Amino acid sequence: MKIVARHDEAPGVKTMRVEFQNPTDLELFKQRYRTGMFGLYGVYGEGESTFCVASPETRNEYIEFTFRQSGRVTSALANADIGDVITFRGPYGNRFPIEQFYGKNLIFVSGGIALPPTRSVIWSCLDQREKFGKITIVYGARTVADLVYKHELDEWGKRDDIDLVLTVDPGGETPDWKHRVGFVPTVLEQAAPSPENCIAVICGPPIMIKFTLISLKKLGFDESNVYTTLENRMKCGVGKCGRCNVGSIYVCKEGPVFTAAEVSRMPQADL
Amino acid sequence: MTRILQSDKLDNCVARWREAGLTVIGPVKNESSSSYAAVEKAAEFDFSLIMPDRSIKELFFPQTEPMLHYTIKKQRIDTSDFTPPPEKRIIFGARPCDASGLAIDDPLFGWDYKDNFWFQRRDTTVIVTIACTKADDFCMCTSLKLAPDSTKGSDVLLRPLQNNKGWQVEELTDRGRDAFNEIADLLQDGSGPAAPTAVVAEKFNLDACVAWLQNPENFESTFWREISMRCIGCASCTFLCPTCHCFDFQDEGDTYSGIRRKNWDSCSFALFTMHTSGHNPRATQSARWRQRIMHKFNYFPGKFNVNSCSGCGRCSRQCPVDMGITETLQAISTLPS
Repeated sequence: MKIVARHDEAPGVKTMRVEFQNPTDLELFKQRYRTGMFGLYGVYGEGESTFCVASPETRNEYIEFTFRQSGRVTSALANADIGDVITFRGPYGNRFPIEQFYGKNLIFVSGGIALPPTRSVIWSCLDQREKFGKITIVYGARTVADLVYKHELDEWGKRDDIDLVLTVDPGGETPDWKHRVGFVPTVLEQAAPSPENCIAVICGPPIMIKFTLISLKKLGFDESNVYTTLENRMKCGVGKCGRCNVGSIYVCKEGPVFTAAEVSRMPQADL
Repeated sequence: MTRILQSDKLDNCVARWREAGLTVIGPVKNESSSSYAAVEKAAEFDFSLIMPDRSIKELFFPQTEPMLHYTIKKQRIDTSDFTPPPEKRIIFGARPCDASGLAIDDPLFGWDYKDNFWFQRRDTTVIVTIACTKADDFCMCTSLKLAPDSTKGSDVLLRPLQNNKGWQVEELTDRGRDAFNEIADLLQDGSGPAAPTAVVAEKFNLDACVAWLQNPENFESTFWREISMRCIGCASCTFLCPTCHCFDFQDEGDTYSGIRRKNWDSCSFALFTMHTSGHNPRATQSARWRQRIMHKFNYFPGKFNVNSCSGCGRCSRQCPVDMGITETLQAISTLPS
């Protein structure tokens, strides 16, 4: 796939937009891709890395993905420029059942570099805004610099059909920071979304997920109305290489999207 | 009518199969170890081995194999797929546990995405298994509800004659029948008495073990830490196992051309599951040993209805610290489920 755009999101974090070079591949992708799925992005000679598809199914002419430069493959991807060709295998995995969210209020809770999978769901819903009730987005990062998709956060902040709550961890604020300071679960509890007719989509580092689930429970959310996406190390993506499982559940095949109820049935020591 | 293959005709058989274009493979001992390897003459076979040190797996799922070749030009990547060489093979003298191991892994390589690297070799290989008349203390096929003369995964089963001068021939599949039709004139009609199959004592109660493993409360039992304290994470058990199938991809080459390889990998290694963030779902050796046992006797059968173990015992036989599946399941057998 050819890189057609790249954007620096935060220190070490980049977003790339790639387009298919072969029309048949694009058609196959459009048939198969649904929000929540992931792919293996690669540079020959370096290897492949697994990221979610950060662009929504409602915009399926291209793929956007966001990653932090941290190893061999992500460094090669980060060094790739517009016009360069990278590889993509996918889309793999299951999806967010977005049509089951129709008519409901939605709350998105996300932390740090875990906004990309959530963002894919957010845009899928915003692109058919009339089908959903109230939309609330709670997003936090360690510091202001670490917030990703800053241009989209501005856009969402200006819309009157989205309730956007931004926060940074204490000490991560800048003098001109006008939003909240505090950890995501705390800020979520202050925002106090009603669990009535509401679906929560949460994604973040394991520690944030753990405490966000506690907060949502406190707010009265039923585990079956809370969705998250698990990101385990993967190599094959097709249920054979044997590493992404949590207990008997293979994240690449049965996930990556699970309800909190499903996650709580998994052996917690394997997460 | 049973037919007999006499030992002194085997060299003719090998020659005949080779003339017919088959690569003839069997148990071969060399200075440091033993494996299933290609032979030119029957004298190279060593049927005295309980089983070769290395399992049959590597003939179908090699330790390392190229998957594709890439060349990169300006704004263009060309790739060409490798496919296993289309050679026809006959493995003469497989052990029933090794042949069973292949059948166990078929559903794994076949579900969802069909792995042609595996199946192309499966489809062009005839497996002639020799029933075991000897076993050692590590053999545990009977504990896995298999037997020293299991036919699972085999195309032909041979039973050694009591006089040790040949084998009774049981053809099990069309592929096996075709291979033995090539040598039909070298077989004899009639049936000498077969040597008794090896006595393999049952080492643990599999059903009780599985029940213990399936109880979610036991996932975090201190048992796992105790049993795996000695494990040094060397992955010998994985690599010698006929059913362990986990793999890794690695690119070898430079910016302009190279190959992508599929290599054996192991759940014993910390890097196997390590996230980029440093978080590791299976951060300790005990969590990794638990994964190995759970995968073989709980997760894999949950998916494919068969245990991912054929009871060859190599994991215990070759373990540098004397722990393996046998020791673990024996210990589990004694626990209250």
